[in-house]
Amino acid sequence: MSWETVLDVLLATSVLGVAVATLFAPRRTSSVMLFLVLGLLLVLVWTRLGAPDVALAEAAIASGVTGALLVSALTRRSAAGSAETPRGGWRSAAAELAVAGTGGVLLGGVLVGAARDGLRPDRLGDLALDVDGVVDQPVTTVLLDLRALDTLLEVAVLAAAVLAALAVHREGESSIGIRSDTRPVLVSFVRLTTPVVLLLTGWFLVAGSSRPGGAFQAGAVLAGAALLLLLTGRKDLVPTGRWLRPAVVLGLAVFLAAAVLTRLVEGGWLDLPASWGVAVVLVVETALVVSIAAGLTVLVALSRPRYVDATTSTETLGGAAPSDPPRRQTEELT
Amino acid sequence: MTGPELFLALGAVVTLLGAVRLLTTPDSMRRVVALNVTGAGTLLILVSLSATGPGEPDPVLQALALTGIVITISVTGLALVLVRRIEDGDDDD
Amino acid sequence: MTDLPVLLVLLPLVGAVVAALAPARRTVAITVAVAQLGLAVTAAVTVLRDGPVDTAPGGWDPPLGIALRLDGLAAGVGLLVGVVVLAVFVHAAITPSAAGSRSYWSLALVTVAGLQAVLVAADLFTVYVALELMTVGAVALVALGGQKALAPALRYLLVAVLGSFAFLVAVALVYAQTGVLTLDIAAADLPQGAALATTLALVTVGLGIKTALFPLHAWLPGAHAAAPTAVSPLLSALVVKGAFVVLLRVWAALGGDAGLATVVGVLATAAVVWGGVAALRQTHLKRLVAYSTVAQVGYFFLLVPLATAGLAAGASAAEVEVARLAWQGAILMLLSHGLAKAAMFLTAGTLSAAVGSGEVDGLRGIAAKAPTTVLTFAVAGVCLAGLPPSLAFVGKWQLMDAALTTGAWWVVVTLLVGGLLTAAATARVVMVTMRPADEEDEVASEPAASAGRTATSAPAASATATATGPAASEVVVSEPSTTEPAPGAGRAVGAWETWPAIVLTIVAVATGVGSAWLAELVTVGSVVAP
Repeated sequence: MSWETVLDVLLATSVLGVAVATLFAPRRTSSVMLFLVLGLLLVLVWTRLGAPDVALAEAAIASGVTGALLVSALTRRSAAGSAETPRGGWRSAAAELAVAGTGGVLLGGVLVGAARDGLRPDRLGDLALDVDGVVDQPVTTVLLDLRALDTLLEVAVLAAAVLAALAVHREGESSIGIRSDTRPVLVSFVRLTTPVVLLLTGWFLVAGSSRPGGAFQAGAVLAGAALLLLLTGRKDLVPTGRWLRPAVVLGLAVFLAAAVLTRLVEGGWLDLPASWGVAVVLVVETALVVSIAAGLTVLVALSRPRYVDATTSTETLGGAAPSDPPRRQTEELT
Repeated sequence: MTGPELFLALGAVVTLLGAVRLLTTPDSMRRVVALNVTGAGTLLILVSLSATGPGEPDPVLQALALTGIVITISVTGLALVLVRRIEDGDDDD
Repeated sequence: MTDLPVLLVLLPLVGAVVAALAPARRTVAITVAVAQLGLAVTAAVTVLRDGPVDTAPGGWDPPLGIALRLDGLAAGVGLLVGVVVLAVFVHAAITPSAAGSRSYWSLALVTVAGLQAVLVAADLFTVYVALELMTVGAVALVALGGQKALAPALRYLLVAVLGSFAFLVAVALVYAQTGVLTLDIAAADLPQGAALATTLALVTVGLGIKTALFPLHAWLPGAHAAAPTAVSPLLSALVVKGAFVVLLRVWAALGGDAGLATVVGVLATAAVVWGGVAALRQTHLKRLVAYSTVAQVGYFFLLVPLATAGLAAGASAAEVEVARLAWQGAILMLLSHGLAKAAMFLTAGTLSAAVGSGEVDGLRGIAAKAPTTVLTFAVAGVCLAGLPPSLAFVGKWQLMDAALTTGAWWVVVTLLVGGLLTAAATARVVMVTMRPADEEDEVASEPAASAGRTATSAPAASATATATGPAASEVVVSEPSTTEPAPGAGRAVGAWETWPAIVLTIVAVATGVGSAWLAELVTVGSVVAP
């Protein structure tokens, strides 16, 4: 039994345990917190399986921004009000576990069997590794060179979700309140980390052509910075208002433009030529970073609860401690 | 059973756990969490498959996983905005 | 013409981006819809003449690159999409309240893009992303229906994405076994066994959720009924079809499974009966129409057990012939359902808005005030029930033919029962509209009688397009009825408001009269092609 096997078994057991705990936790808040733990564990799993891009995306998006979404959607009222025990008690939970467990094991068996059967030299992955694309990094090659249309559609999904969120939100109140928190420690933290985050964004973007990274991770990290700025009241540094919608659709628009351009010049939709394909990739990725950042920021901002009265709630999720001078302003994010 | 195969089976179990929970729990936000757990399960399947081969990890499957992550967060974001609007609306009544 | 598949997908996306930013949303959307219809017609003609169009965007050949395939099925359903979207957009432009929100236009175009991508994708993962795009767009459109539509929208979203995940696991399974993502190439490599059966099961369940096949249909009536008037047609007529087309493609490529096909057949029959009975029992008009969609989806799925023998490798010529008949029949019914259901939802929305109430009972007397609309509703119902001369009749006939050849009597019975139930539901609504209003209302409606409305007993708006010109204005002076607990008074039915629905019913009947080309089109490039 090697160290690696022990590690694998340990990781797998932890993931399973935390997943079950996440799903069956008695309260909403516990469920969300455990989900964050699950995310961290998954980052380890991805690293163990040799998928650094996915690990970065997991940390930044699947665990990072999703965690922010979930936590911001919790309110004091709903968190307390949903202290539920599973309906029917332990018996129904056990039944669900049994059904899911059995089904999962069966499905897992089929999958493992298929994986063993399917080992052959000319799988798509091997072909993709040998391909001579415009960028060196294989995952980026797959995303933007080989299967660019899929990526375009995926960007459309994100844009559609953000536009939908804006549309649904508009039907109600005309603005949302992001209570800004101007505690000195937080402000200093943001002031220090924002330049670092911007640097990280640029790094992910540029390095994505030759090593793990890429537009999605960069966009998520940038969204984090934008949210921190918004939360500490620096709305002036975050493009909102009439630049919001253009920012959200920019990625999709540039991608579509690249498709038309390559069609006209190269004769094939999204056909990247060897000479200036890298430039196309970089331009598209930059636009994607802007869109993804804008989109994720909007989604997190819109899932925050509506703060009705700042003075009545003494202790709210994300609010300041009662002893602080009440310097709260509601910012508008149109 | 190799490491990746273990995670592959784990992925199947986690996917089904999330799916069953999604269908049975009444609370909407926990359904969203369950949806994300199901998504995590599918990612486990995809990424473990990328590691089962003898050579380098399969970049196609990793790209699929990345796409899946972005799609899942889009859906989660929309779902939570809906949840928020539903619950804010209920509070008003 | 290898640009066609890509253009069909990218054009609506471009339109969506422009509509999201520009103020002239309606113009942009309608222009795009017209162009899209033009593309769809070109596609249909090309496919009929030259066969399916294969292309691979990105310049990489499959299996490394993405394979797109515009075959007869894609062209046929693409035509449906083009016609219905244009009609619905025109309706929404005429009646702004039908759209629900100014974000309608870009979100609708996004949904259309997803739908087109679903139709032309021959690559399994592209299909997955396209399905998600379609779902997100559709959910967003439902949510435009106001506060009451949010919960159905959320439910739809969660359940539909669950279905997508099931599909994704199936894709992973196929890739694990075969190492490719292109459907046709993978299908050739997939041996009979646990992997194939599990793949089919996962795909059927996942897409069955999205198509609202009984018993996975629970999300549909709520969502389609709560959606705005210009959204329900898009959902019932189009989005549901997209998922079905994928299911059909996968079944055809993988050769199907007899056991699973039997299960599907049972569920399909249950859907027809359950949906039909439930529709009869509904008191809310749009829910009635939505439940009838559940029933009609059962019709489409009847194709699966009928055709499975012919889809398998090594099937005899006779079996393939039966499969082709069933295929044509089901797809023609699918197309007819799209047209008729869209017309039905549009007229239902108009009628509900005219009386200010969504209840069926609230429609009493509306036949006198909006006769053309009621007539269109009735004709659409006739088309749905599969009575001649509608397209659905042709489709139903072919399905029955296929069923009789294989001795599947239960299919014939199901089709007949389903038709009866649909006819009954339509008749019930029409009779309510014709029931004379109560005494209090008689006095109130007197001024309306003198308001110069032309009694348009339009001879079957179904037969002649020249029926009534702009003079057919049905001006309803809507008095708040004292017997109805209407939340708000109704409103007048606009002069042109019913015309999109009328056009749709005309097409449904016209294609029924001349359907040979359509039947030929939908089999081009498929496994059951002659």
